[in-house]
Amino acid sequence: MTEFEPTIIGFTCNWCTYAGADLAGTSKIQYPTNIRIIRVMCTGRIEPEFILDALRLGADGILIGGCHPGDCHYQEGNYKTELRVRLVKSLLTSLGIEPERVRLEWISASEGQKFAETVQSFVDEIRELGPNPLKKNSELK
Amino acid sequence: MQKGEKLNDSQEIRIGVFICHCGTNIANTIDVKKVAEYASKLPEVTFASDERYVCSEPGQALIRDSIKKHNLNKVVIASCSPRMHEPTFRKTLEAAGLNSSLLEMVNIREQCSWVHMHEPKKATEKAKALVASAIAKAGLLEPLYPLKFKVTPSTLVVGAGIAGIQASLDLANKGFKVYLVERAPSIGGHMAQLDKTFPTLDCSACILTPKMVDVPRHPNINLLSYSEVKSVDGFIGNFKVVITKKARYINEVKCTSCGVCAEKCPVKNIPSEFNLGLGKRAATYVPFPQAVPPTYTIDKENCLWFTKGVCRVCEKVCPANAVDFSQEEQEIQVDVGTIIIATGYDLFDVKQKPEYGYEMYKDVISSLEFERLLSAAGPTGGKLVRPSNGIEPRKIAFIQCVGSRDVQTNPYCSRICCMASIKHAHQVKEKHPDAEVSVFYIDLRAFGKGYEEFYARVQQEGVNFVRGKAAEVYKEPNSDNLTLVFEDTLLGEVQEQEFDMVVLAAGLVPRTTAEPIQKMLKLSLSPDNFFLEAHPKLRPVETQIAGVYLCGCAQGPKDIPDVVAQASAAASQASIPLAKGEVVAEPTIAYVDQDLCCGCKVCESVCVYDAIEVEATDENGKAKVNEALCTCCGSCVAACPARAITLRGFTSEQISAQFEALLKPAQQRD
Amino acid sequence: MNAQELIQKHKLLECIHCGICTGSCPVSRNAGLNIRKYMREVVAHGDVTVHSQNELWSCTTCATCGIRCPKEIIPYEFLIDIRSLAVEKGQVAATIRDALESTFKNGNPWERIRSKRSEWTQGLEIKHISQGAEMLYFVGCTPAYDPRAQKIARSLAECLGKANVDFGILGVEENCCGSEIYGMGEKGLFEFLVEENMKIFRKHHIERIVTGCPHAFHTFKNRYDQTDFEVQHHTQLLSKVIEEGKLTFSKELKKQVIYHDPCFLGKQNGVYDEPRKAIESIPGVKLLEFDRTRERSLCCEGGGGRMWIDITGPRLAENRVRNATKYGAEILVTACPFCLSTFEDAVKTTGLEGKIQIMDLAELLSLAL
Ligand SMILES: Cc1cc2nc3c(=O)[nH]c(=O)nc-3n(C[C@H](O)[C@H](O)[C@H](O)COP(=O)(O)OP(=O)(O)OC[C@H]3O[C@@H](n4cnc5c(N)ncnc54)[C@H](O)[C@@H]3O)c2cc1C
Ligand code: FES
Repeated sequence: MTEFEPTIIGFTCNWCTYAGADLAGTSKIQYPTNIRIIRVMCTGRIEPEFILDALRLGADGILIGGCHPGDCHYQEGNYKTELRVRLVKSLLTSLGIEPERVRLEWISASEGQKFAETVQSFVDEIRELGPNPLKKNSELK
Repeated sequence: MQKGEKLNDSQEIRIGVFICHCGTNIANTIDVKKVAEYASKLPEVTFASDERYVCSEPGQALIRDSIKKHNLNKVVIASCSPRMHEPTFRKTLEAAGLNSSLLEMVNIREQCSWVHMHEPKKATEKAKALVASAIAKAGLLEPLYPLKFKVTPSTLVVGAGIAGIQASLDLANKGFKVYLVERAPSIGGHMAQLDKTFPTLDCSACILTPKMVDVPRHPNINLLSYSEVKSVDGFIGNFKVVITKKARYINEVKCTSCGVCAEKCPVKNIPSEFNLGLGKRAATYVPFPQAVPPTYTIDKENCLWFTKGVCRVCEKVCPANAVDFSQEEQEIQVDVGTIIIATGYDLFDVKQKPEYGYEMYKDVISSLEFERLLSAAGPTGGKLVRPSNGIEPRKIAFIQCVGSRDVQTNPYCSRICCMASIKHAHQVKEKHPDAEVSVFYIDLRAFGKGYEEFYARVQQEGVNFVRGKAAEVYKEPNSDNLTLVFEDTLLGEVQEQEFDMVVLAAGLVPRTTAEPIQKMLKLSLSPDNFFLEAHPKLRPVETQIAGVYLCGCAQGPKDIPDVVAQASAAASQASIPLAKGEVVAEPTIAYVDQDLCCGCKVCESVCVYDAIEVEATDENGKAKVNEALCTCCGSCVAACPARAITLRGFTSEQISAQFEALLKPAQQRD
Repeated sequence: MNAQELIQKHKLLECIHCGICTGSCPVSRNAGLNIRKYMREVVAHGDVTVHSQNELWSCTTCATCGIRCPKEIIPYEFLIDIRSLAVEKGQVAATIRDALESTFKNGNPWERIRSKRSEWTQGLEIKHISQGAEMLYFVGCTPAYDPRAQKIARSLAECLGKANVDFGILGVEENCCGSEIYGMGEKGLFEFLVEENMKIFRKHHIERIVTGCPHAFHTFKNRYDQTDFEVQHHTQLLSKVIEEGKLTFSKELKKQVIYHDPCFLGKQNGVYDEPRKAIESIPGVKLLEFDRTRERSLCCEGGGGRMWIDITGPRLAENRVRNATKYGAEILVTACPFCLSTFEDAVKTTGLEGKIQIMDLAELLSLAL
């Protein structure tokens, strides 16, 4: 069997983390290919349903990246996200899904290095955890 | 077609997909042909192709032609980050008669080929997934129409150093109203403290004062000195600013600047801020003789009336009756279309480098203090003497990079200190040709026009340039002189030499007073803590906040020529919306499905912009979006329990389609 | 360790050759040690250049180079690695070799037998830690064996007793802390000592240590990578018990006292104020300051293995005692057995006997009890 390659969905805000990911690119900092980013204007846009649905559809991990506290382009979007993510995590725990599959990080537009390091460590962590238990057995191969 | 209207349901969806090579930037890692071929087989895709540079004219022509030829009604472009070229491609769509919102971009350069350079196979797979995801979203795109708002034709400029002054004068000369806010009693900033300016050695006051005087005289400039910005609301074109004007206790209109109040003021020993503590001032003062406005100010902290409830001598002696102890702080509200930040720099606090003994020895001074010692209007009347004993120095050392290029303090180069010390060395030689001058440097950076030539001239004047960062300054017992320890790195020799004065060429750091305005406007900072520009090369004076611009040392250390050029650039940028008279806002805003809304008001409570409101007409009130205020953050959408709110351009269906496509098992993607 | 590994480990490619390390080096002028050039040679030649013993062993590991480096390179750690290479190859002075051997055999670098380690306690009543105590007094090799430095240990024991501090010692179980062994580059032996000492500390469930030696203090605090116990230097503990009123003075001491900041206590651990507070609390004492004080304190040349190798040239300790008299001091106080020893020697070589006294802080305090 080949090594388990997790599929990770990233939701990043346009202003900080998406720009941070771009900076990792312009600086040619290498990180694993497992992450696929969906851009929203602010993490405040992220509906808890997106996270749950993505997990239901087989995502092995969800990385949410927003501006540092106090830096949200829309003032408080990231605070709302923090609350929502906390809610989702407790829900996951009660459903028997590892809450570590959802990670929230504050990564600014100047933190390309941090973005790459975060992806690397998250991929490592999810590899440890193994595939999403909701994924159908047939798809695991 | 009307706002929010959907594509005709019966209309067939025809998507065109364009994959960019970006020369070799993408194509060297990602197999673009394979990606294009894969895309061509996906449902709803009518046409897919790859192109060396999609952003080039031939690339754009291909898009335009394909739209027409294949009757495309949605476009997906996989190339660099949308933060680079999205606006370019939106225009391309418009040129081909397609609504510009029917474009979806895929970032396969910054977020794929450049970060997976050693994994071409996996990168290609990732690119395919990302393209499929964009196609899924594209299918659900709807045409959107930009919103237009009127612009208040005026600008707020924060900080009146040379940067703020230049920007204000430029804007005012273009015919726009300017509110120039300066927190100090006088405008001028650091340039007013300098004696002469490199490399041409113009007298700083001589070139600055005329500009300073022009400011309050200009009919289009409203100078608010001794004032601070209290709050900013709104958005580009329509900022509402509240400014606090501090009480001077002297009436600006009545004061004739005769100076009798200061002469008679009994408190005379206050260290002068302008002279960096090297001179004294009274509790009633103007910071320096050429101050603008020339109005005197009573310093509440030290005035005997405020501290002890006695005196009021100034009130009695003022021939113009200008002293007014009942004055109070005033709040002024102004409407502006754009904002320029010009808050400048602070000098690095040299106390953080105890090895140089700044706190122990009077004859160890900072470079800015040295400027005051050289200045004819300074505390010594321009006589260069040792602060400890008032005697002419015979041997002076300049220590470069104090606090700069140092990961413990400021990792960056402060850019002006090399030239400032070369200038200072020259000025010492000019005043005392026999004095010995040494400059201790790591690298001498004489990068500007005429700078290397100036350096060469000063070398010829006999200044001793030593390559080595000075390590320590100490005093032998019972000696008046300072011993400097250093390695001459070109000789590899460690030496000790005595000097009678040591000048620390301290670096520049961001103003601490800039923090409130940074927080108010949510401006980003670069890693050096100066304000971050929108793009380091192509948008050097804009910020990420539309309508807010930067100039001068607020954006990073720089010399006066660069400050002035940048200030004019900022003024020019800030005048664009004013000249246009209207701004076009992103159409990606929220709208409420009135049938689903239950009037629960959750959206109201999450919106920090007050952009969504439930109309309280009857109990069946429904939420309504104020389009001018909505900023597209999407907080209300995520919060709405009835899922009644949609964010145009980022609808729940679109985002769900994106991750659903991404999560399709890989084998189904081939 | 080869050149490539040295370059990586010490970030040598980030060096901008400003020279502040060499300029700050207290021994560079006397011994000709140019640490910046050493580092450059490794980068430029891809090889480690062999320099004279006099240069290589002159470094006192005072750490000033590392503290001031604008790129956070730590040149003295690099130099210690070079020493390690010399030690591995056996290219060291006989005196260094003997000190290392003795540490391995006897648990001290002074070539003294283990059974004599608690000789200094004669006539004093001091508990062994196994009898139960709140705090371990870690004596250290020099105060345990050196007749002059033994007075530090005796005075400190007296002060602690007077202040009712509940302490005990390890007696003959005590080993070298390893500070100087590390500085000499014998990292294998250092690791061995760490293991041995941790075993003993754990055996006696030690949670708090006070030591009269800044070298042991620094090593336990920063090089042991442990969280079992808390360590204090005696200047910190003494100033605390004085402040709390537990240690009081019955005599007046009408003396002009000058304090020398030991590098391992001041520069390396930021302990500047406590010893000064303790000195100033003695009735009658007037505290003077060197010009080169606190962060700019001039090294006495006692650290980095320098107690075991003779480097030719004038002594910084001589400069120190001479200046102390010029400032009018009658007593030069320090808080380190190595400083004490270098200063005592310097008093003799400068002919200042009778003009100035050298004392540890604990000795000074005990004079006024
Ligand atoms: C020792 C020395 C010598 C120099 N010599 C030369 C030279 O010879 N030639 C040369 O080209 N350059 C020289 N420079 C550089 C020069 O000083 C700067 O380039 C220039 O002064 C920067 O102008 P500025 O307007 O950006 O900033 P500043 O001069 O710092 O002005 C900023 C202004 O904003 C105000 N402000 C700050 N915060 C707020 C707030 N929150 N609200 C309202 N107002 C605020 C401040 O009070 C100040 O008036 C020298 C610098 C030094 C340190
Ligand atoms: S904009 Fe980045 S989290 Fe809100």
